[in-house]
Amino acid sequence: MTIRFPIALAGVVLAILASIPARADPITINDHEGRTVTLAKPVERIASIPIPMASTIIAMDGGTSKLVGMNPTAKSAIVEGVLGKIFPEAKDIPSDITAPNFIPNVEELAATNPELVIQWADRGPDLVDPIVNAGLNALLISYGSEEKTKQYQAMVATAMGKPERAEMINGWRDQVAAEMAAKSKDIPADKKPRILYLGRALESLTASGDKGNYAAFYVNLAGAVSVSADLEGQGTTISPEQIAEWNPDVILLNSFEAKLGLERIYDDPILSLTKAAQDKRVYKMPLGGYRWDPPNQESPLTWMWLANLMHPDIFQYDLRAEMKKAYKTLYDYDLTDEDIDGILWIGMQGDATDYAQFKAK
Amino acid sequence: MAMAAAESGRKSLIGVRIGAFGLMALALVAAMLFSIGAGRFSVDVPRIGEILLAAVMNPDAAPSQMDERIVLLVRLPRVLLAALSGAALAVGGAALQGVFRNPLVSPQVLGISQGAAFGGALAILFGYSGFILLGMAFLLGLSALVMVGLLARINGRTEVITVILAGMIVGALFAALVSVVQFVADPNTSLPAIVYWLMGSFSTATWPRLWLAVPGMGLGLFAVWMLRYRLNLLALEEQEARSLGVNPDRERWYIFVAISLMTGTSVAVAGIIGWIGLVVPHAARILVGEDHRVLIPASALLGAAYLTLIDTMARTLTAAEIPLGVLTALVGAPVFGTLLRRHFKETSRT
Repeated sequence: MTIRFPIALAGVVLAILASIPARADPITINDHEGRTVTLAKPVERIASIPIPMASTIIAMDGGTSKLVGMNPTAKSAIVEGVLGKIFPEAKDIPSDITAPNFIPNVEELAATNPELVIQWADRGPDLVDPIVNAGLNALLISYGSEEKTKQYQAMVATAMGKPERAEMINGWRDQVAAEMAAKSKDIPADKKPRILYLGRALESLTASGDKGNYAAFYVNLAGAVSVSADLEGQGTTISPEQIAEWNPDVILLNSFEAKLGLERIYDDPILSLTKAAQDKRVYKMPLGGYRWDPPNQESPLTWMWLANLMHPDIFQYDLRAEMKKAYKTLYDYDLTDEDIDGILWIGMQGDATDYAQFKAK
Repeated sequence: MAMAAAESGRKSLIGVRIGAFGLMALALVAAMLFSIGAGRFSVDVPRIGEILLAAVMNPDAAPSQMDERIVLLVRLPRVLLAALSGAALAVGGAALQGVFRNPLVSPQVLGISQGAAFGGALAILFGYSGFILLGMAFLLGLSALVMVGLLARINGRTEVITVILAGMIVGALFAALVSVVQFVADPNTSLPAIVYWLMGSFSTATWPRLWLAVPGMGLGLFAVWMLRYRLNLLALEEQEARSLGVNPDRERWYIFVAISLMTGTSVAVAGIIGWIGLVVPHAARILVGEDHRVLIPASALLGAAYLTLIDTMARTLTAAEIPLGVLTALVGAPVFGTLLRRHFKETSRT
């Protein structure tokens, strides 16, 4: 008895000591511009000016309560998509803190009383200075690669005091990517489908080079190659004749253009003669919590979807189950079968080659 | 001065002109044939001849092979649309330069291009493509001209200077509206599309698009062709023209409407292609002189050949489509400069 008491006391003291420094220590984050952002405590109010970040913040937090402002384009994507259904309250989050062009409207921004403002790095001081000059704390991110995506996901999660959540979600990314890379590295070059990803297809056709392009990253990961790998630049306009010359095995349509459907390819006199159209291997990118084409919190699902389509003999992800699991983790939401059908455009492309695997069993 | 020269050396000039026109027509045909042969998808030259011949012999047969479709459905309408637009833009420039007696004006001066650009940009912003885009570009180009007309008409008369000023005002207004559209456009989707479209391209040329362009451009070209004698009179001083029984006011508006038809249609089908209306009439003037009766057809032929070749460069040099506005400026500016220098040297020697 007399011995136990001091031990218990020591335990309590130790516990208190251990918890005090953690609470008093400010959070420091190195952002993508190399700045050190210091926060006295985990932030409760974040405003996001870059478009993809709004849905990332929701995913890293598991809800919308900390998002106090976002880009109007991000808002329309959230409200119109499945996130709007999961989080109907998102429509009340202010979006006039910036125009779609990312220039902050400082007064509106200040009115949302944010403890942290996310803004683009490497797009010049004009986008950042007004925020900093208004006395707000800015965290600058840059975009486009898998590495950067993981980094900024970790940054916002850390800022919200939930670094372990980003670790878990990024761990999922790393694990899926490693697993896929291990399987796809042995695929011989002549077995790799040649993919054309059309970043835009309605008014004019655009494709991207491999350098710095995220679609190229997951095309390679899924054991395929991009026919437009040698293009200089991103979102470059190309002619139907150039596509005929490439004659891709697979055509991926972007999910950005709402009116874009498979008939764009099948009704086109030139594109309908490509190998992709002849083999019915034209697919529109799914639209989930965010568009599946660019890097976002749901990216591993994009990779699985594409890998299953490119090599059904090698990759056999149970995509519907993976989606349910991911949405539960990311948004604490139970996806219904109708939700999944909508995200994957089952109604439109259920009959495309190898697409039956994604239908509800 | 050119008129006097035309009178004095009439006979020798006729021969020279026939030769010059023959060469220009030949150049146009050569440019179009070359353009149909060139492209990213390789089709042998004999095979192209075969395809074209088969299409002429049996126009009802639908092309089924890829090389047939490339030649007949991609290159042919594109080459024809580029040639037609080149002719329209060059003739528009030549006619405007005549009306304003100023070699530095081009259809942009009337604000038509900016009006059409606003219409097109707005259409892309709302997610429209194809014919709605064409229609909006054309209608807003036309409404820009109407606005210029209303602004410039003072006490029932329009003077050249008020038209230029009104054109500047209307052009600036629509340029600002284009900026507004760009400001609110989604940087992920519509903004790049708008920016690219504004730089000009025939990458979306199809037969339906060509048929849509033919009435506007054809009417405009025909009207200016019919008015080519009047253009010479309009180039005279206002008083002089009136004493010859011309109503310069009315005649000018005929020309403006014709030009807005051509420019509005061209912006609608291909975005903004600058420099053609400025450079080509100058080249034509150096070749055939200032008489609009020959300057207009010469500008049409040269403009058609020039834009056909520029567009061929745009679609063949790289896998990416190079925007036309970039090429016409990059090629047009040095050519324009060289032509001007040579022209001034020659005129100062005589």
